[in-house]
Amino acid sequence: MNSTLALARAEVRRLGRNKRYSFFSVGLPVVLYLVIAPSARHYHVYGVAYPAYYMIAMASIGAFSGALTGNAQRISQERKDGWIRQLRLTALPANAYVIAKIIASMVITVPSTVLVLLLGRFYGGVHLELWKWFAIGGTIWIGALAFTALAVAIGYRFMPDTVQPIAMFVYFVMSILGGLWFALSGFLAKIGDVLPTYQVTRIGTDLISNQSVPATAYITILAWFAGFVVLAVIAVRATAETV
Amino acid sequence: MTQGRMGASGAPVVSFENVRKVYGHVKAVDGLTMDLRPGETVAFLGPNGAGKSTSLDMLLDLRKPTSGTIRMFGSDPYHAIKAGRVGAMLQSGGLMPEVTVRELVALVTGFHPRPLPVEQTLKRAGIASFAGQRVDKLSGGQTQRVRFALAIVGECDLIVLDEPTAAMDVETRQAFWVNMKAEVAEGRTLLFATHYLEEADQAADRIIVINKGRLLADGTPSQIKARAGAKRISFRLDRIDEPFLLGLPALVNVEIRHDLVQIQSTDSDRTLYALLDAGYRPREIEVSGVGLEQAFIAITAEDDRDGNGTTPGRSDSAGVASYAQH
Repeated sequence: MNSTLALARAEVRRLGRNKRYSFFSVGLPVVLYLVIAPSARHYHVYGVAYPAYYMIAMASIGAFSGALTGNAQRISQERKDGWIRQLRLTALPANAYVIAKIIASMVITVPSTVLVLLLGRFYGGVHLELWKWFAIGGTIWIGALAFTALAVAIGYRFMPDTVQPIAMFVYFVMSILGGLWFALSGFLAKIGDVLPTYQVTRIGTDLISNQSVPATAYITILAWFAGFVVLAVIAVRATAETV
Repeated sequence: MTQGRMGASGAPVVSFENVRKVYGHVKAVDGLTMDLRPGETVAFLGPNGAGKSTSLDMLLDLRKPTSGTIRMFGSDPYHAIKAGRVGAMLQSGGLMPEVTVRELVALVTGFHPRPLPVEQTLKRAGIASFAGQRVDKLSGGQTQRVRFALAIVGECDLIVLDEPTAAMDVETRQAFWVNMKAEVAEGRTLLFATHYLEEADQAADRIIVINKGRLLADGTPSQIKARAGAKRISFRLDRIDEPFLLGLPALVNVEIRHDLVQIQSTDSDRTLYALLDAGYRPREIEVSGVGLEQAFIAITAEDDRDGNGTTPGRSDSAGVASYAQH
């Protein structure tokens, strides 16, 4: 386990140095929040003030895009380059690579999420009890974990050239129909209802507006999570002889 | 260097027993049986597509044999590798980008149950001078040496190298073998695949040749050369009697161009005396040793000819192997 953690630490260090990764998971959501949240201060969506909704949305975008597009691309590239093969020749336990990727992804999600939530509190004027901050952060974190599992599935299954469009497609569908770019209503909201991204936002906004969160929200997220994990396990097993 | 071959003591470090690997209709490895003994330096030779890489992949537990057994230090390869007993370097092995060479070596050193000091590894692999550089900014030869460093980060008993000097220039290649000999001098077993036959000739105690997934020859470099006719005799002769030349003793092969005759022979003295005894007086006689390269080409070409027949030729290759070992 110690060597797996050492690998995870190295992964975190690499991600921290990667400008592209930092831009999409930290830079973009922060800038968008700074620009857009104040201009829509008087609107209400999903029963909360716009800056509160947008805080949830931007924190989710940063966490999910980092977890999905960043990881999928890197895993696929590292598989192609033979780094995964190289690790299999060491005394590292089998699957240490995947476990380290997931740990690193979960660690790197924390600062970007915390940063946007802090902006919401001190710049967007969102006031909440302490436990709700943790509940919101935790929900986004679990969502990011699910997308990390999907990234493993895509990264193991496809070559880097193919990964890029696939990951971008999933990212846009999940973020737009999940209501992360703008709040959904009517028909689009009905589609969004089945997506984990939409339910993460919903749990967040319900917590902020003091409504009770329906159990289906949690069930939807966990169902996607389980589905992505199954896909990841199948992909890793199926490619055991070709990594 | 090591005297450990033939009568080597102790259980084999590695044993392949009738190992096969089939992809659809293609038999990449077709009933390979071989042993590596402790302390041996063994070169693994074969033309492209002979099954070298697949064999090494199976040895290193990257692929599973379709049938047959591979043992390593008395257990299965997976457990031997996870116990840190094997240091391996593959052509297809990649490096982690975005970190420095020293960070990478330190990281992989940390995975090893019997690690060696990082600075020492950097020196032994000849990469200390660029240890501060980022891995993704290195040249091909430098990358190759970093891969080698990762194979020797800990104390291991078997080193497996797949074309270790492929991306190196001549000077780097020589330096590499100086380092490598120091590694095996400590009693380690070394298995390396190579395209450079002179490398196999100089470095190996023993050479294993495979072709079409089967063992073709197994012996010392001089035995392998003897397989294909150890000496080349060339001379000029005015009136050439071809049937007579073909009937000379110890003959492997004859080539005639105008008045120039080139003969490959397993016993140049006998061949030459027979020629002289018959009353011939050839001019410009030269006798030279056959390089490993000619031996290798002769052995595999012979196998490819045999392979075109109706029999699969497996018993042939076993015969060749035992012949070469005597």
